Amino acid sequence: MSTAVLEVKDVQKIYGTKGESQSHALKGVSLTIEKGEFVGIMGPSGSGKTTLLNVISTLDRPTEGFIEIAGTNITQMKRDQLADFRSQRLGFIFQDFNLLENLSVYENIALPLSLQGVLSKEISNKVSKVAQTLGIEEILQKYPVQISGGQKQRAAAARALVHDPAILLADEPTGALDSKNAKSLLETMTDLNENHQVSIMMVTHDAFSASYCKRILFIQDGKLYTEIQRTGDRQQFFKQILDVLAELGASHDVR
Amino acid sequence: MLLKLSLSSMRKMMKDYLVLLVGLVISISIFYMFQTLALNSDYTKNNSMISSIQIVFNVGAFLLAFITIFYIFYANSFLLSLRRKELGMYMVLGAKKGKISQILFLETLTMGIISLVIGSLVGIALASGIGVLLMNLLEISTEGYYAFYLPAMLMTWGFFLVLFLITSTINAIRLARATELALIRAEQQNDKIKSKGIGAVLVAILGVILLALGYTCLHLLMYLQALGFIVGAISCTIGTYLIFISLLPVLVQALKKNKKLNDSKLNAFTFAQLRFRVNNLTKILGTVAMLIGLGVGAMAGGLAFQQNVNLFTTVFHVYDVNLHDPVEADYQALKKMNVLEQNTYRYKVDDKAYYYLKEDLLANPLLISTNSIQNYSADNKPKLVTDPLPKEAYIVSASKADKGKYEAIPEDWDKALFTNFINYQMIEGKSILVVDQATYEQTAGSEHKVLLAKVDDYLKYTQELKAMDEHQKQLIGSIVNVKAEDVYTSSKYSTYAGMYIFTSGTMFMGFFLGIAFLAMMASCLMFKILSGAARDKDRYSMLRKIGVRQSLLVGSIYKELFMVFIFPAIIGLMHVLIGMEMFSFILLDPYLNIWIPTLIFVVIYAIYYYITVQLYRGIVLPKEA
Repeated sequence: MSTAVLEVKDVQKIYGTKGESQSHALKGVSLTIEKGEFVGIMGPSGSGKTTLLNVISTLDRPTEGFIEIAGTNITQMKRDQLADFRSQRLGFIFQDFNLLENLSVYENIALPLSLQGVLSKEISNKVSKVAQTLGIEEILQKYPVQISGGQKQRAAAARALVHDPAILLADEPTGALDSKNAKSLLETMTDLNENHQVSIMMVTHDAFSASYCKRILFIQDGKLYTEIQRTGDRQQFFKQILDVLAELGASHDVR
Repeated sequence: MLLKLSLSSMRKMMKDYLVLLVGLVISISIFYMFQTLALNSDYTKNNSMISSIQIVFNVGAFLLAFITIFYIFYANSFLLSLRRKELGMYMVLGAKKGKISQILFLETLTMGIISLVIGSLVGIALASGIGVLLMNLLEISTEGYYAFYLPAMLMTWGFFLVLFLITSTINAIRLARATELALIRAEQQNDKIKSKGIGAVLVAILGVILLALGYTCLHLLMYLQALGFIVGAISCTIGTYLIFISLLPVLVQALKKNKKLNDSKLNAFTFAQLRFRVNNLTKILGTVAMLIGLGVGAMAGGLAFQQNVNLFTTVFHVYDVNLHDPVEADYQALKKMNVLEQNTYRYKVDDKAYYYLKEDLLANPLLISTNSIQNYSADNKPKLVTDPLPKEAYIVSASKADKGKYEAIPEDWDKALFTNFINYQMIEGKSILVVDQATYEQTAGSEHKVLLAKVDDYLKYTQELKAMDEHQKQLIGSIVNVKAEDVYTSSKYSTYAGMYIFTSGTMFMGFFLGIAFLAMMASCLMFKILSGAARDKDRYSMLRKIGVRQSLLVGSIYKELFMVFIFPAIIGLMHVLIGMEMFSFILLDPYLNIWIPTLIFVVIYAIYYYITVQLYRGIVLPKEA
């Protein structure tokens, strides 16, 4: 168990207070992600995948259950501890990039390090290193409005990785990209996972994106529905995903 | 249906509307309060005798109106920016643009009328509260000043109704011209980053040079006169704007270029926000700096005139008490005072002349002031008149018949006698002579005396001195046959009292004007900052997501807005400190107690700073669950 970067046990999330109309977004989800894994979370809209991501990313608190990231229990933490935890141990990539458009790409990437009080010189080294990995050295001095969507997402990925997080959390990272840029980003993520041992958890509803993962968890109605492991090549895995999705869709229709 | 929607959404955004309403109410009530003074010419005539005060009032009213227009404009664009997205959504859902424009027009106007009603009430309360309180504090009569003054009320309503109609129309037109998509995406427009090059540096240098020129002109106002004032005012104004257009962005840029500083904590973000602000708020920051200058200047000027009264008085009078033929009550009053020096001088008067006894004068020589307005220094101590008087008679003031008969008295004695002994109403064409004992004894007229005294601090005894002054008026009135209230005494107290009333009027107005300016410009700045806040919301939520502590975000807000507030404050105060110098040719010490208006400014400004931070924080940092 020592190699698990993420452990989620019996997590429940209920919105609304008792007496009012409550909605049960997560009904006891458990999952484990080992170090170096590239895991996808899939599920139809309203299945609870975004809620799951929010509680894992400490942006929201689970109503019940237990979440451990890199050996730290995050469910009991105070607000400031959570903020520090996010900035030190987690990396985020969002669908809409979430770059600060009034900061240069360099400053955006440097931000997590600045927050930790890393020395200016070291920041400079680390930023150029991660920029090299993601192939964005050329645009470091530019501002987000001056670069393309694909470059923005790479910059966001660089910001997510610059402080060596325990796990990279990606929320529909290809959602706002065209197919060429999406593919390129996914290949980069695969490279990060395989050659730089970055643990990744990616939430997506896009089967093509999901096919880059090593393992996929399907959620439906706030519960884990099934799990598939990639064994062969990507095309084959893609078909496998589509099959599960069809199954999910069918079960929807039946009910 | 749409009306219902608009009402419900207004209710939902109650807090934002409250901000707007409060701002408008402040603006309206101050405007009204000011109008009660500006329009009530009877009152100003009673309280300030020179016409230049009236000009200041009119200029003040004009400036106030001008600023109010700007203010309402900002307040309304704030309103619109809050509603754009929602209104755009209605349009996408198929609501007709005309209908929405109409509703927006009505909303803006309704808001205006509500604020007018509340503002008038608050204005009356302010005028009767602050106004009367201030006047009592300054011992100025409130006679003729009305908290509810109909012309002022009409003026306020007329002015603001027209203003609201115009802004409502502009709002409606603006909306009519915007496309649905532009409205929905209103908040997503990015900041433009303009790089500042060598041009900016040149403009900055020009700004500094102009400011220096302006300051020099004001400093040398005594020699340059009106031309200096005009050139000084213009070059100061242009210089201020140039500095805000160029120097500040360059400074912030330099701050950002400092890699070590920029890479520390949230500084990169704070500086970036600041850079955006100084680039986009140049005009308003320049205006704010000028208004701070005018506002604090008005207060400081008014105060300086008032505070200089005592100095003025000491320039003319060495003795605190001078009484002709004191009565018993006067002696009783003197006993209550801490008298440092007291002398009595005898004189006789007949139908031709006043005869002062030389021996009395030589026994207790008089003190004269060595200060003048042109050449004032606290080190100039009064000096004793020591010129010998060997002759048997000297003339101080000659009647027609006595011209050339006697030798004129030495200059210092002349000054001493005129300031302390002689009341102009008493002369009545008689000569004033100083004669020796022998001549004095031969003179037939009735004998009188003058009592001179110095006390520890005459301001402690204003009640007693006032009573003495009344006695003197009655005495002199009975001698020269005029009504007591038409007698002008030449005592230290009467000089002081006369100037005190006049200068207090000036000061009162200065404070009114100053506070109105300060409050308005601070809320202008507040609205300008808040109207851009919705746009910053995403940035702060992003930062929260990547794990920036709440305390760090709040700290960043405090820091950023502090810088935005402090720059115009520094330049504005600099204007005041240097600008006050121009009063030095009419005031002995223009900087006396200047800390009072400065403190008032700092307090008002700090309150607005704090409110702005809190409101801004409420908009960009929603409460965490």
